Amino acid sequence: MKKLDNTLIIGIGNNTRQDDGLGWCFLEHLEKEGYHEDSLLYKYQLMVEDAELIAKYEKVIFVDACKTQLNNGFEIERVLPAEKVAFSTHEVPPNQILNLCENIYQKKPKSYIIKIQGYVWDIQIGLSNEATENLKKTVSYFKNFTP
Amino acid sequence: MNKKKIVIEPVTRVEGHGKVTIKMNEEGKVEDAFLHIVEFRGFEKFIQGHPYWEAPVLVQRLCGICPVSHHIAAAKAIDQLVGVDPENLTPTATKLRKLLHYGQVFQSHSLHFFYLASPDILFGIDAPAEKRNIVAVATENQELAKKGILMRKFGQEIIKALAGKKIHGILAVPGGVHKTFTKEEREYFLDGKQIPNVDTMIEWSKEIIDFMKAYHFDNAPWIDNFAAYPSNHLGLVHKETGAMELYDGRLRSIDSEGNELLNIEDIEYRYHFKEAVEPWSYLKFPYMTKYGRENGWNRVGPLARINTCSHIPTYYAEIERQIFKAYTQDKPNNMTMHTHWARLIEMLHCAELIKELLLDEDLMGTDLVTKGTPRNKGIGIIEAPRGTLIHEYHTDDKGLITKCNLIVSTTHNNEAMNRGVRTIANEVLNHKPEITEPMLNQIEMAIRAYDPCLSCATHALGQMPLIVQLEDLQGNLLDEKIR
Repeated sequence: MKKLDNTLIIGIGNNTRQDDGLGWCFLEHLEKEGYHEDSLLYKYQLMVEDAELIAKYEKVIFVDACKTQLNNGFEIERVLPAEKVAFSTHEVPPNQILNLCENIYQKKPKSYIIKIQGYVWDIQIGLSNEATENLKKTVSYFKNFTP
Repeated sequence: MNKKKIVIEPVTRVEGHGKVTIKMNEEGKVEDAFLHIVEFRGFEKFIQGHPYWEAPVLVQRLCGICPVSHHIAAAKAIDQLVGVDPENLTPTATKLRKLLHYGQVFQSHSLHFFYLASPDILFGIDAPAEKRNIVAVATENQELAKKGILMRKFGQEIIKALAGKKIHGILAVPGGVHKTFTKEEREYFLDGKQIPNVDTMIEWSKEIIDFMKAYHFDNAPWIDNFAAYPSNHLGLVHKETGAMELYDGRLRSIDSEGNELLNIEDIEYRYHFKEAVEPWSYLKFPYMTKYGRENGWNRVGPLARINTCSHIPTYYAEIERQIFKAYTQDKPNNMTMHTHWARLIEMLHCAELIKELLLDEDLMGTDLVTKGTPRNKGIGIIEAPRGTLIHEYHTDDKGLITKCNLIVSTTHNNEAMNRGVRTIANEVLNHKPEITEPMLNQIEMAIRAYDPCLSCATHALGQMPLIVQLEDLQGNLLDEKIR
């Protein structure tokens, strides 16, 4: 079992909404690769209490589907705490969770977001072919990625 | 001044997608105001044709906030389809379901108070919009924010322990539950080693009530009068004692003076309620048939529950209920903003109930499922965090659902929320030369007090927030705010 010390990978999405399930599918691939489930967290969406959770880790990687056109079908970038924040129970972006984590718990885990381009979002289980390709490329890249 | 119409869309810090329209005449006076629910779902229709045992799982998809409530209400109905009435479930099954339910109410009330309502209370109605959120609360009051997070987490951990996961898990099966509780799971909530324990939850709940009472003491004039109006109140009460009951009881309604309007077996609801529709909203308007559409509507939820019950059957929450009731000389409380206070008393009640159950050996029993003679109709009614929740299913002889009716808590509160919007619109917008952001927030606050779940209520896939639009009397859009 590959256990990532002090690293949490959070897959965000909904696998009943086609390519919105990319975040979860990414984690499933990692599980098949032998990553320990303790390092992997499946979430429909982030919530305020996730600030308390990530405060316990040194590194956090958020993985989510993305509607925007991405050159390689995926993108990895650093995330820093948001300067300005808003709140809705239906949408709390990673940078706002980091802001809360810093504000409440005085912790600032090194954080990344992996965006994987998706194409279809209807109520259906299963990724599109294009999203599946993007997922493969992302997983392949991630194997050699050192956060 | 031209005639105009204000539209608030989306309404913020509520669950679901709504819109407020305020129509103003040439003199700048509010002529009418509406809360429109603009999501459409049709869950009642597309569940038809599914086997009955799928219902407690499928209906959870109504919402990401209250799936547990739908799971339990549906399960109670489905029990009857397999010939098992609530009193015939095994003690272990009943207690495990109750524990799940109380965990849900506890976490949902925590979410509402700390994440959604507390910014209005801490920073006031005139605070800038960018400050009215949990993050600003966390910045200025870290201890309160930490407690809020950990209290919600406690409730969610209860749900996870019983249902397997925090959202859309499964505990109930027809006639019972599919798993029991272990000693290790119980100790997790009692020993305080990994998370603050249930005694801490009780203490923190008491502290938050003290905070609310102090806030009320300092702000009584506005908190007492804000969006206050007389109404009927509906809630489940214990079948013998009349005490507050969240899982199974009789349906009781009283009017604004405390006169009893209804006291029936819950499964008789169909003979006593109707649902009206309006062309401007997907949300129906339930009312008691006997009293008609105009006079038969009820508030439901924490305030209504405290108004309709004779007492609360846990020690500390009952003390707080008595203090709460003393403020209105034991008369029903019709002050909308007191719903927040009532909600906190219920949080305390749930924490106490959770402790009682955690100390009950039945929780770890192994007799989990009861069987009976199948029937074709089942009705499950519980008190969800936001109020009375009704699920009814009919099946054919193959066990396929032929009819489903859901009356969700927020639907009961539809008329009350609309009256709240009209009341506040009249108070804050009449003859004002300028419509300001704090004015619009006050309209939202009148809705937010009910903690509405618009996704559930319209049974919708949804985006969330609320819109306010300003229209002239011909319906022409003059101004709009979207948040």
